[in-house]
Amino acid sequence: MNRIVFVFLLLIAALTAHAQTSECACFVKGVVKDQHTGQPIIGATVLIVGQNSGVFTDEYGRYELRNLCPGAYTLECRIIGYNPFREKLDLTAGHEENFNLLEQEVHLKDVEITAHRTDAPSSQPLSTISGSDLDRTRGQNLAESLKGFTGVTSLQTGSSISKPVIHGLHSNRILIMNNGVRQEGQQWGSEHAPEIDPFIATRLSVVKGAAGVRYGSDAIGGVILVEPEELPFDKSLSGEVNAVGFTNGRQGVLSGTLQGGIKGFKGFGWRAQGTMKRGGNIRTPDYFLDNTGISEKNFSLAAGYRNKGLGIDVFYSRFDTKIGIFSGSHIGSVTDLLSVIENGEPFVKSGFSYNIARPNQNVSHELIKAETHYHFQNGNRFQWTIARQLNDRNEFDLHRPRNDSIAALNHPELTFKLTTLTNDVIWDHKPIAGKLAGQLGISTLYQYNLMDGRPLIPNFNQFNMGLFWMERYVKSGWELEAGMRYDYRTLTSFRIVNREKVSQDFKFSNFSGTLGATRNFSEKFSARLNFGTAWRAPNVSELFSDGVHHGAAAFEKGDATLQPEKALNTIASLKYASPKFTAELGGYYNIISDFIYLKPQPEPILTVRGAFPYFKYTQTDATFKGIDLSASWEFARYTTVTSKLSYLRVYDTRNDNYLVMIPSNRIDNQIKYELPEDAKWHKAYFSIGNLFVAQQKRVPPASDFLAPPSAYSLWNVQTGTTFDLSEKQQLEIGISVQNLFNVSYRDYLNRFRYYADDMGRNVSLRLKWKFGA
Amino acid sequence: MKMTRKISWTLLLAAAVSFTQCKDAGDDVQIDDENELITSVTLKFTEEGTNNTTSFSYKDADGDGGNAPARFDTIALKPNKTYTLAIELLDESKTPASNITDEVAEESDEHLFVYTPAPSTLLTYTYGDKDANNYVIGLTGKAVTTVAGTGTLKVRLRHQPGTKNGTPSPGSDDVNLDFILKVQ
Repeated sequence: MNRIVFVFLLLIAALTAHAQTSECACFVKGVVKDQHTGQPIIGATVLIVGQNSGVFTDEYGRYELRNLCPGAYTLECRIIGYNPFREKLDLTAGHEENFNLLEQEVHLKDVEITAHRTDAPSSQPLSTISGSDLDRTRGQNLAESLKGFTGVTSLQTGSSISKPVIHGLHSNRILIMNNGVRQEGQQWGSEHAPEIDPFIATRLSVVKGAAGVRYGSDAIGGVILVEPEELPFDKSLSGEVNAVGFTNGRQGVLSGTLQGGIKGFKGFGWRAQGTMKRGGNIRTPDYFLDNTGISEKNFSLAAGYRNKGLGIDVFYSRFDTKIGIFSGSHIGSVTDLLSVIENGEPFVKSGFSYNIARPNQNVSHELIKAETHYHFQNGNRFQWTIARQLNDRNEFDLHRPRNDSIAALNHPELTFKLTTLTNDVIWDHKPIAGKLAGQLGISTLYQYNLMDGRPLIPNFNQFNMGLFWMERYVKSGWELEAGMRYDYRTLTSFRIVNREKVSQDFKFSNFSGTLGATRNFSEKFSARLNFGTAWRAPNVSELFSDGVHHGAAAFEKGDATLQPEKALNTIASLKYASPKFTAELGGYYNIISDFIYLKPQPEPILTVRGAFPYFKYTQTDATFKGIDLSASWEFARYTTVTSKLSYLRVYDTRNDNYLVMIPSNRIDNQIKYELPEDAKWHKAYFSIGNLFVAQQKRVPPASDFLAPPSAYSLWNVQTGTTFDLSEKQQLEIGISVQNLFNVSYRDYLNRFRYYADDMGRNVSLRLKWKFGA
Repeated sequence: MKMTRKISWTLLLAAAVSFTQCKDAGDDVQIDDENELITSVTLKFTEEGTNNTTSFSYKDADGDGGNAPARFDTIALKPNKTYTLAIELLDESKTPASNITDEVAEESDEHLFVYTPAPSTLLTYTYGDKDANNYVIGLTGKAVTTVAGTGTLKVRLRHQPGTKNGTPSPGSDDVNLDFILKVQ
């Protein structure tokens, strides 16, 4: 419609212009010069404001505009590097107008091109958030920050603890690489969130699908890469301060980074970073959740040195958190659970408080890492990384010991200390004939776990060794990739059985492989296909659990004869990207044989707290198939609509049934209006979005106390902009409202869905002050 | 230049060595110690006016899991009699066994025993003790039987720290057992 009107107007304009040519013989001509030097300026634009006519100055700085009708005109002369100049004219005949332009102080910002080394398989979909998209997630925990990716959801224990789920797989089936080191915490528990401060990262990436060859055991569902920015070698001091406030939980987060080089010490760079977080009780639309506060203190230090081909980096980080566990989720027996479910809302009511009482967990995670690499002149590259992690988890039960003198000590009821030493050596061979590049690597891991308190999982020593080889062939539009790996793992467990120390040895070994192809049909259109295998040895909780899981009101029993899980993953994707429209369609089919899960047993088990449903760790064969679709279309000027769809179907093929705890399908739509750039502020936007999560209808019958919660739809709005405070200082402001209409809902993958609703409306204000180069 | 490289390699090697201070998890196995485990619950019925005491127990010496409960007695009482009912809780996984009853008595303002017969006509329970806040406890009380019949007696210990209000609702179960009750 608009277009027709436009063409019509254009025609009229052309006709009237034509009609007037006979009388319009006026002209303007002149010379454009630099005010200071007096030199002619070549290539400056001289145009008539409000009309579509303009000319460039020639090699002598001359210009001439002809065939003008008599009348008043505004002439503008401009060129980059000079202030534009306007002049009003009353034309009756020919006129000469010379311009003397004043040089403008324009400093174009340096353009920096950085390349990132990502070891992820190139034929697998890799999604990344960084920059302002990542900024929008600031203040949230790692899993929440990743929820924007299609195919990524989260497994929650209330609102403060969440862990990422990729294509329906989580915990030990997802590998998290924190700054190049595999994160080793007590990942087996669903209430054990990854101990990583997202403020460390300037890039968060997700490799969807099995990536067992490059990363070894556990990367069945995918890999999450948490990567900091390259250290600022030989740069002046810079930094940023982030402050985020949330109304729900009255949570405040403050994080700062300072970095730079050292004068007189060439090739050196350093960075210091710290985060503080404090939040109180979370509120659902109707009530507060008692004891859901959080307090977090993290910091990291990094330094590095670069000289020619040599690079050395050292990194230290400490993550320290204290999380309250919703006291209404504490149950002693099945009767307690059923009465909470029947009540429909928690029995324990509270107001707002920052206080964190029992039950709670205090977790600290310490990482120290040293990495060195050397680029040889001939193109070979060698990299060696060593790291030590200490994960210290303390869980405090609701009930203190009845014995007063013991209670006064306030000891945690459960303590795990997990120490991990990793060692990775990677050799990138020099490209052969400019087309074949590859790497050969060896990684080892030594780990020991010490536990104290309520019997849950045993102490253990674990040793892993993996050897891998990958090659990539690139030729006109094609990229082919192949790799293989061998892993060997020993595990020795130590338990007390009838007051005797019992140790048990396990040995696991496995081959994995990957084969992939990428075809770039054009600059805009590409396709990828990857077949990958991965494996995962059963972890100690699956081997040795034996007791009531109070949070789940279930008696869980491990099985020491479990065999490793093996996954075969096929993933294909098509991608189209043009300036106005981008779309990515991915499909995957993941077969996991000997998939370990908790199988409900026919007979309940009797304890002093009553009869509990009895679940045993069992193996089956499962298939995970799904579709991820994301598309974004700038359908009108400045206005973009984005849609993301995740669809997943999981089936237990051995028992001909569905599997429990699989995220439901969802669609996320956003419409965003970006304001045109202004001299003072830029990147200003306003967006409104909706997330629709379907009900999970594919669950095995009689497998749960409660049917999966119904579907829900949440609205959110966001707005933000960036101001240039000065040449080297920027202030970014963002406001967002999640769950705009304060809807009561429960998510199937929130373990507290039995007890309470999910979080209500949450307004957040985000400020980011960036300074320095 | 050569020098810095040498130094850096040495540093890195030194770091690698310091990383290898391994420890063995097997040297440090602690005896599992579950706080306040209850492995045995004994109900002692003493017929009024006599010294005849009969005890009925639930025993699971190794706690949850492991071996199944070794004992879960059927309560046998006479019709139309009045009994004094006392309860005893023990943790027999420790040597010597620790007496949880004493600890419950010490923190009586956080605990409540609930005795629920089904059908309710089998037995009537009356509390015989009160805590500092004048709420009943149930460590001792009276049980009155009526006509003969068979059913269950549900015995619960509600743990209600800070929330005890005289009703069973707040808190969570520390004990929840369904004894078979025969009045004959």
